[in-house]
Amino acid sequence: MDFDFSDDQEQLRDAVRKYVDKGYTFERRRATEKAGGFDRAAYNELAELGLSGLYVPEDDGGMGMGPVEGMVVMEELGRGIVLEPLAQALIAGAVIAGYGDAATKAAWLPGIASGEKLVVLAYQERAARYKLDVCEAKATQAPGGYVINATKNVAPVGDQADAFIVPAKVNSQLALFIVERNSAGVTTSGYGTQEGGRAADVVLKNAPATLLTMDGQTALEHAVDIGIAATCAEAVGVMDKTLAITAEYLNTRKQFGVVISSFQALRHRAADMKMQLELARSMSYYASLKLNAPAAERRAALARAKYQLGNSMRFIGQQAVQLHGGIGVTDEYIVSHYFKKLTQMEMTFGDTLHHLGEVSARMQDTAGVFA
Amino acid sequence: MDLAFTPEEQKFREDIRAWVQANLPADIAHKVHNALHLTREDMQNWAKILGKKGWLGHAWPKEFGGPGWNSVQKHLFEEECALAGAPRVVPFGPVMVAPVIMAFGNAEQQKRFLPGIADGSVWWSQGYSEPGSGSDLASVKTRAERQGNKYIVNGQKTWTTLGQYGEWIFCLVRTSTEGKPQTGISFLLIDMKSPGVTVRPIIMLDGGHEVNEVFFDNVEVPVDNLIGEENKGWNYAKHLLAHERTNIADVNRTKRELERLKRIAKTEGVYDDVRFRDEIAKLEVDVVALEMLVLRVLAAEKSGKNPLDIAGLLKIRGSEIQQRYAELMMLAAGPYAVPLIREAMEAGWQGDQAVARCAPLASTYFNLRKTTIYGGSNEVQRNIVSQVVLG
Repeated sequence: MDFDFSDDQEQLRDAVRKYVDKGYTFERRRATEKAGGFDRAAYNELAELGLSGLYVPEDDGGMGMGPVEGMVVMEELGRGIVLEPLAQALIAGAVIAGYGDAATKAAWLPGIASGEKLVVLAYQERAARYKLDVCEAKATQAPGGYVINATKNVAPVGDQADAFIVPAKVNSQLALFIVERNSAGVTTSGYGTQEGGRAADVVLKNAPATLLTMDGQTALEHAVDIGIAATCAEAVGVMDKTLAITAEYLNTRKQFGVVISSFQALRHRAADMKMQLELARSMSYYASLKLNAPAAERRAALARAKYQLGNSMRFIGQQAVQLHGGIGVTDEYIVSHYFKKLTQMEMTFGDTLHHLGEVSARMQDTAGVFA
Repeated sequence: MDLAFTPEEQKFREDIRAWVQANLPADIAHKVHNALHLTREDMQNWAKILGKKGWLGHAWPKEFGGPGWNSVQKHLFEEECALAGAPRVVPFGPVMVAPVIMAFGNAEQQKRFLPGIADGSVWWSQGYSEPGSGSDLASVKTRAERQGNKYIVNGQKTWTTLGQYGEWIFCLVRTSTEGKPQTGISFLLIDMKSPGVTVRPIIMLDGGHEVNEVFFDNVEVPVDNLIGEENKGWNYAKHLLAHERTNIADVNRTKRELERLKRIAKTEGVYDDVRFRDEIAKLEVDVVALEMLVLRVLAAEKSGKNPLDIAGLLKIRGSEIQQRYAELMMLAAGPYAVPLIREAMEAGWQGDQAVARCAPLASTYFNLRKTTIYGGSNEVQRNIVSQVVLG
């Protein structure tokens, strides 16, 4: 039972923190947001640090690292509210490595690791909302493989990605496929997102697809759990920085002749934010440490984690704005951007209410970290 | 980073579990599991059983007879006791005054007092709070005037938990009114059988006699009962508070009570009510998050690196969670929590067991409103936490 980070993990953290502090300033981020919400050059910089290949096995050109390294990296990216969706590379690398056959792995993993291939999970359907067992997309066999007919929404950087991982049903069985964006039958319409990033709707009309795995339900749940763990870790970084920004403001801003951090009501609010941050950090550790558990245990753990993170993100985001007074609700000042990032993460991979339902449905007689 | 306990820690847990199974009297466990009234004998019996094994002072340093367990082992020991239905150890002797005597008392005092604490034979009480000194503990007024080789003590302590059973009381007394209040306080051990000591019950809102006022009317206390130096008592008391505070989160007992909440909800027919079930689910996540927080603190203590400055968070959250499970248990019983039938809260009551199940629930809810107030109120705790954030 050990929650210290190894020297290698600390070095990884330092490397990413240095990149974010020096190479990914708020000004650069704002420029990217204005230009559409995604900068391939920035994504390539992350790839150059080895980050897009974090979960790709070394034999396939990646770093072959695990959930704790992923957690450390995502925390550091969260501190800088980096727009480029590295979590998607983590998901794609892990899912293709874990469920793909040799040919698929050889075709995709080196490119994911090098950054040459940006592969994202395109699974959101209006009818499904946050449910993973509802899918209207259909895959039918065709010469050379399969074709898919589907509409998938809010695919991260969907109009910029090189390929999608797409859940679709083969008859009544859910399977996962890889579809290249530049294939026939693929149209995307991109848009900016609330946090300043980019996503797209992806429409597939008889689009050619490579089968990734027929064990689609298992693989999709696993993919989403990797995404939840990454989101939880990212959120901890966002919240840590948000609280630090807020504390600095409280200690600087003067009204009535004193710094406003001398007012007990505001001090208690800051204490409550610290409480939520540490509960969130604790559950982010829990989520990452349960990522390699057997599926049922993992699903239950990740639902608990996302539920806690949802509450923490809401509280810290809302209170950070509140404690800044008027400037908290401007675009010019930085804290609203942190708040919008936290808000968007609530609606990613299932919100608080959804995961409360998951926790509720999975409740056993005993409960605890180890139960 | 690794969640799992080591094989050695697992073995330790199993050994403790077996010992508790063999040594915790079944009738006491029954009372604890069903929130029935525990007698003085119940509490002291368990203390003596632990004492005989050398585990009443399980956190004591080895040089004073402690088993030399690290933070994880202590946590596992407390967890196995709690899960098995052992009563809470009355902390005033083994957990509160003994460390002060060990750290700041002289050899004669250690020889005189520690054995009776270690074997559970002497019941100690805490004399800290006064009517005018709650959160502002340093403002204590109970006066100890030096006269020759005696102190003459006059004043009043309050909220003295189980003081009605107390044989000795350790007190923060005022020995000087010069300078800051903290610098005029001494740590004095007082025999409660001394002439001039009067204990008066304070009945709590649940109808129970758990706390007391203790009056000191010209009580003579030998100078030999002063711990350390005069006017340094505040430092000794703070030393106590600085020690590991994961117990205050009470997560082990809380996990046991969460299981009990689910059993009660099932029996009362609300477990399948989606709204009620969701409230239990929320609490379940709260418990897991609290346990993770406790484990982080324990792991940091064990490794010695990166100590975590979040003890206040454990107290705040732990107390709020205790209140919530008590509330949900009461709400599960609903209208059947309303009858106030004290006899049904005693073990061995022969009436309707459905009545017995519901009888303690509202009382427990009322009683646990104290948890956010004692041990440093949650408002004061937030003041302290805010310093970590804001400086």
